[in-house]
Formats: sequence, structure tokens, C-alpha cells
Amino acid sequence: MDEFVGKFWDRYITKKASRLFKDEAVVFGSNTKAFKIFYHLLGGEKGKELHITDKRSIKTSQTLLEKFSGTGNTFFRAWQDEKGIYLPASLSYFPLKHHNEMHYYWLIAMLTKVTITSQNIVSDNTKAAQYLIKKYAGFHEFYTYADSFIRSNYPELSTDESSSEDSSADTYPNPLWIYPSLSGKNKLLDFDDQEPLRQPDEANKTETLSMKKKSEQIDDTKETDGLLLFLPESIMSFMEQVRVDRQENDSFDEDALYNAEDLEEITLGQKDANLSSRIKMDLDISANSIEHYPLGKGHLIDEWDYKKEIYLKNYVCIKPFISLGIEPIALPKRLLKMMKKIQSELDLMELDRIKRDNLPYGDEINLDTWIDYKGHQNHSNHPQRFFQTYEKKMRDMATLILADVSLSTEAGITQEIRVIDTIQDALMVFAESLHRLQDRFAIYTFSSIKNTKVNFHIIKNFNEKYSDTIRGRIDAIKPGYYTRMGAAIRESAKILDKQQSANKLLLILSDGKPNDVDRYDGRYGIEDTKKAIEEAKQKGITPFCITIDLDAKEYLPYLFGRNSYAVIRDAQKLPKLLPEIYMNLTK
Amino acid sequence: MSKTYYLPQSNEVELFKAAERMNLPILIKGPTGCGKTRFIEAMGEELGREVTTVVCHDDLSAADLIGRHLIDENGTYWQDGPLTKAVRNGGICYLDEIIEARKDTTVILHSLADYRRVLPIDRTGEVIMAHPDFMLVVSYNPGYQNVLKGMKPSTKQRFISLSFDYPKADIEKEILIKESGVDEKTAQKLVTIAGEIRQLSDSDIQEAVSTRLLIYAGKLIVQGFDPYQACIHSIVESLSDEEDVLEVLEKLIALHFTKSVSL
Repeated sequence: MDEFVGKFWDRYITKKASRLFKDEAVVFGSNTKAFKIFYHLLGGEKGKELHITDKRSIKTSQTLLEKFSGTGNTFFRAWQDEKGIYLPASLSYFPLKHHNEMHYYWLIAMLTKVTITSQNIVSDNTKAAQYLIKKYAGFHEFYTYADSFIRSNYPELSTDESSSEDSSADTYPNPLWIYPSLSGKNKLLDFDDQEPLRQPDEANKTETLSMKKKSEQIDDTKETDGLLLFLPESIMSFMEQVRVDRQENDSFDEDALYNAEDLEEITLGQKDANLSSRIKMDLDISANSIEHYPLGKGHLIDEWDYKKEIYLKNYVCIKPFISLGIEPIALPKRLLKMMKKIQSELDLMELDRIKRDNLPYGDEINLDTWIDYKGHQNHSNHPQRFFQTYEKKMRDMATLILADVSLSTEAGITQEIRVIDTIQDALMVFAESLHRLQDRFAIYTFSSIKNTKVNFHIIKNFNEKYSDTIRGRIDAIKPGYYTRMGAAIRESAKILDKQQSANKLLLILSDGKPNDVDRYDGRYGIEDTKKAIEEAKQKGITPFCITIDLDAKEYLPYLFGRNSYAVIRDAQKLPKLLPEIYMNLTK
Repeated sequence: MSKTYYLPQSNEVELFKAAERMNLPILIKGPTGCGKTRFIEAMGEELGREVTTVVCHDDLSAADLIGRHLIDENGTYWQDGPLTKAVRNGGICYLDEIIEARKDTTVILHSLADYRRVLPIDRTGEVIMAHPDFMLVVSYNPGYQNVLKGMKPSTKQRFISLSFDYPKADIEKEILIKESGVDEKTAQKLVTIAGEIRQLSDSDIQEAVSTRLLIYAGKLIVQGFDPYQACIHSIVESLSDEEDVLEVLEKLIALHFTKSVSL
């Protein structure tokens, strides 16, 4: 209750003090997609993401009421760096909503034209503004209005251009302008609380320490009489230390930032930077033991050595595994809503019906065939299949999904969600979709340690029925080791090759370049993978790669060709996008 | 009849003529509305050949191209299809969007497209030698990422390939002025809008604005339509059905042609 009153008071006093037009505010969050498209329209770099900028305080003269409520001394600026462009969470300088909206478009347009450094704020902004005004009649209208409105209504904000050389110009920013990126400019900024900047590298990285203990391995035949004969350290039968890069740029989760708008002191540094380094212990002592059961000793396949230009015969050992002791699970609740959405798209696809011709019986007579029969010199030689029928499209497709579950998928997208989580979600939604489409499919995952051990996990083979157990297996996927992609592709191609379908699709889900601890890294890995893909194509298989690696544009066109890959910018959208990509590929 | 207007983008006219002299078939790739069909028509006129166009679809059977038996009062008789007619009498047979046709249909082109230049008709047992003036031209739009569609490599490798794209800005402007009759300033604006929309990637809109749509917009403007409205109806609404995409595109148009508020 206290909180409620406090909020109410806060809202009241803020409203009273502010000369902004909060009721007409335009919020970034509700227009994100539109803004992004607009940014691309005006030639913004494709790789850059749009973010909400953090609140940056500046000191301006405050009325008593403003001091009381804490408004008036804060101001958002638009800026950009190599990774993205940063815009205020909401804009409400103008009394009309469409002007506030236009303000956003103006800032985005400005951002496509200039990169500001601290030296050229005035000159470059003026230049860019002039350019936009001249090119776009709509911006001319807006700018003329906005500029004069801001000058008259917010005297403390508008820049006095005569004093532009003075650094004081920097503290009275123009809302229509773009400002320098934060890096390297800290001393010019005037933060309310002098927070020590976090160490750039160390604090951001989380060290995940993964320990596995197999409790049943402890030899208790020895009579210990309760004496602890082993040191605790020895329970670490397997230990690997991974440095997972959790570097996130200054953007936060959108929702968090949206809420954060009302907080006073969000500044650049993360106060709790240390929290992000954490130790994760993974002790599988629980009785519910999932057993990764090897199917045979494994078999050998070739690998391509680009330097020698030969195949290394039987060089790689593929070890197929299946997980036993799986608990069947239903589709997780968090995915139900998404599945419902996808279902409506699936329904559209199922409407497609195709005509089947030349049938000995069917719904209607095909006159062409009948006439053809009449015109045929030798009637007994004619197949005499006169009927046609419309039936539900049975798509002659076999799809094999190959998911990369190397240790790099353990990396976090946000603090809570790891890459592997989205891969698991994506696989579940995808499997569900294909099941409903009645397309034939199989799912495999892979990881590798050198050429001697390429783990090839069977989640679902082509003949298995899709069931709760399959979902259980997806749920039980654990990331580990490295990415020997070429071997996995060859193995998958071999499986697909045995299928009877006319169209064979090999969908590869990946999060980065092929790599392994041995020389399978860099060029070697790329070339072997490329070779494996070529082999698959020769078998009449269509490979398609879906990746969340933003650098993928550097190597994927080389590996898969220009039209055979998709880069997903926001990994969290993978579950939704995967079925969509599939439907686009096959409709 | 006035001559079909076509403004070359690069060396396509010379290439087409060379292929015609050598009796080689041609494959044209390019996005929707960039001038593929117009190019063929213009070339047909220039070379004095009749152009037979067949727009392919997924229900197109070999019989639709080659011909079939029909019935009249005297019984059945054979009717040549468009392809067979062109093979017998000479002329350009243009198969538009060949990728839409099923792969087994396009296989009948194989013997026509290589050195043999013959068309076997299995229903009548006839084997037709192609007329010296016969020329085969096919086109498709390679932009779609699709597994089920695509040309068999064995089909593809029988053609001389030409790749079309939207014309360069100054050429497109000239085309616009000539085709729709808009003034240069408006044409320039339309071309700028097109250039901006074409920067979008597949994930935002399925296909970028075509030269054809720009000409439509130009024609509406010449008819006295408000430029903003003209662009909305000819360009924006044709490109997407998604609300937020439409909204941004409208915004972009409004930046170039200010909306008249009174309506």
C-alpha cells in the first residue's frame, strides 16, 4: 500500500513539474519493428541493433518543483556505436503525438547520416540536418516546427550555437541532435553519482565451472566404516573450465529499460558487475540418471584435408548415442502460446491441395486422358487411367535437423537464458510443427572432441514416431565439447541419402564456425565443412544453415551459397523463426 | 503499332543477338518487374520474330506446352501446343517463371535446348526439327529461398544466362519519365524512394519495389492523383500486408511527398 501511494505521489508530482507532454508520449518499445525497418530503409547498417539509451543526467537549472520531483535534470540523448544505435525510451517534447513520433524518425534518419565524435557535434549535426531537410519535404516541415518549438518551450535545452566551441554546449543538448558514443567520452559526461567504472574485461565474463560427479562410481566395496577415505577434490572426475563471453553492450533487456525509465540513477556502469561472474556447479548425483547409451562402437568416415587436397580415409570416428532413462514430457507451457500462433500459419499451408492425375479411379474424369485414349491408335496399349482427384498435399519431403550442441551454446543470451535453451525450445516447436504438417523428419545433435570422438546423438530418427519421449530427449540435451561440423554433415547426408523422398532438406542449426581442439579450426574446418556440403548437394540434398552467429556473413555464403542460409539476429526468436523459415523454404 | 520501349541496362541486347545468331537458348534471371518480359518483347520486335509467351504454373503439364488431342465432329485430332507451334514455324518461345513449372515438365526442353534442337512428341510419334528461326527463352526469379522450387542443374546448364536487376537510378528515372510521363523531379523522388526500399532485406519485406510499380505510381500522378496517395496505392500496399511495415513505408512516402492534410 505504501508503495502504491508512493508511486501515485511520484506520478503526480512528476506530471506537475514536467513541461513534457507525457500524455502524448511515444514509446520506443511499441514501435521497435517499425523503427528498425525505417533505419534499414534509410540505409542504416544491417548488423546494428536498435536499443534504448540509458538515462544520462545533466545539470540544468531547476525550478523548485522540479528539484522536488527530480525531473528537469535528466535528459536522453541519441547516439550510436559499432554495435547499435541508441534511442530514448520515450519522447514527449511536443504536444502532438505525431510530432513525437516524427521525432523518433528524425533521430533515426540522423543516425544513418552521421557518426558524431566529440569534436564535431555542432558542425556534423547541422550538416546532417540540412541534408535531411533538403532531401525530404516531410522532414523540412517537422524540423522547422520542432526547432522553433524547442527553442521557445525548452530554453534550457536548445543549443546556443554561438557558444558551440565551448564545452558547455555539451551540457545543454539539443533533442534533435545526435551525440557521441559513450566510449572514450567519459570525462565529458557529468554523472550524478560518481561510480567507479567497471573493469572492461574481467567483470563481464562469467566463469562456468562445470563439475561432474558420478556418485555410483565411488567404490564402496572397500570397508571404510564411515571414514572418509577420499578427499573431496577427487570427486571431480571430469572438470572443464570454460570462459563464456557474456559481454553485453550497454543495452539492457528492453522491458527492464522501459521500467527503468522512471528510475533516477541508471548510469552507464553496472553497479553489480561482479554478480555476473558466477560459478556454476553441475553435480549429477541425482538418482534420475539419464544414460547416454552408445549404439555400437562407432564407425569411421573420411575428412577433407585442404592442404594436401585429399580425403583422409576413415579419419573421423562417429559415435552414435541415444539417451536412455528419459522421462517423457508434454510440450512445455511456455511454448503453448507460440505454438498456437504457428498453428494458424500451418493451417494456411495445409489448405494447399494438389491434383493427382492418371488414376484408375477418382473423383472426376480427366477429359484430356480420355481424348488421348480416343486418339490413340492402339487402345490396348494405353494405360487407361482416366481419373483425377484432388487430395491433401502430401509433401514429398524428408528433413533432417542437425543441431550444434557444442559447449559454446552454453553461453548466455541474457542472464537467465542460454543459447542451448533457445535451441531446445526451437527444436520442440519445430518438431511439433513438422509433426502437424505430417512431414517426415529426424533430429540429431552433435559435438566433438578431436577426430576420435564425434558424438552423434539421436533425438529422433526418420522412422520413430514423434512422442513425449522425443520431447524428453530434446529436454535432456546437454551442451559439451566442440564443433566438428564436416563429419556431422557427412553422417547426416548418409542418413538422408537412404530416404526415399524426392526432396531432402538438411537443416543445420549452429552458433558459430566449425572448430575443434586439434587443427580443425579456421581454414581447415571451413574447407572440410564446405567439402561435406558439396558432397551432400551431389547426393541431391539441399543443405540450409540457420545460425545465430552475427559474424556468419563472413563465412556462410562461402560454405552454403548466397541463398542457403539465414542469420537470426535475436537468438531468442529462434523458436518462432525456425518453423517460419522451414515453411518459407518448402511452400 | 509503336515500337516497344526498352532502355538497355548493360550488354544484354548484344548478348541476345549473338545468342540468336548462334541458335543458343537464353535464360534470364531477375526480380519481379525489372523488365524481363519487356526485354523479350523488344528483342522480338527488333529481330522480327513473333514472341509466344507461356506463363508457367505448378499445374502446367507437358501437354500444355507440346499439344494434345482434341475432339470435333470427325473424331479426334491433334492440336499443337504453343511450344510445338514455335518449333515448327519459328519465333521466340518465352517460358516465363519456368521455376513454377514442375521439374518433370521442364525436362521436355532438354533436347530442344542443346545442339540437337529437336522436339519429340511421344503421343504422335513425331520428331520435329526446330525451325532455323526458333529460339527458346526462359526466365525465373532466383530471389526466393525455396527447396521445392529451383531448376535442375541439368536444365540450367543448357542455357546462356543473363542476370537482370533493377535498373540503375539514372536509367530508371529515364524509363519512368518515358513510360509514365511524370516530370523529372517527381521521377527523381520515385527513384529515390525505390532505392531506399530496395535496401531492406528479405526479413522485412518479401520483395522490393519493382520498376513496374514505380511506373504505376507515375501514371497515377500524371492522372492528377495526389503523389502521396498515388505512392500508397501503387507502391506501399503492394509490398506488404503487415501493419508495422506498412506504417513505416507510409512514413517514408510522407517524407518525400508531404501528405495533404485537408482530405
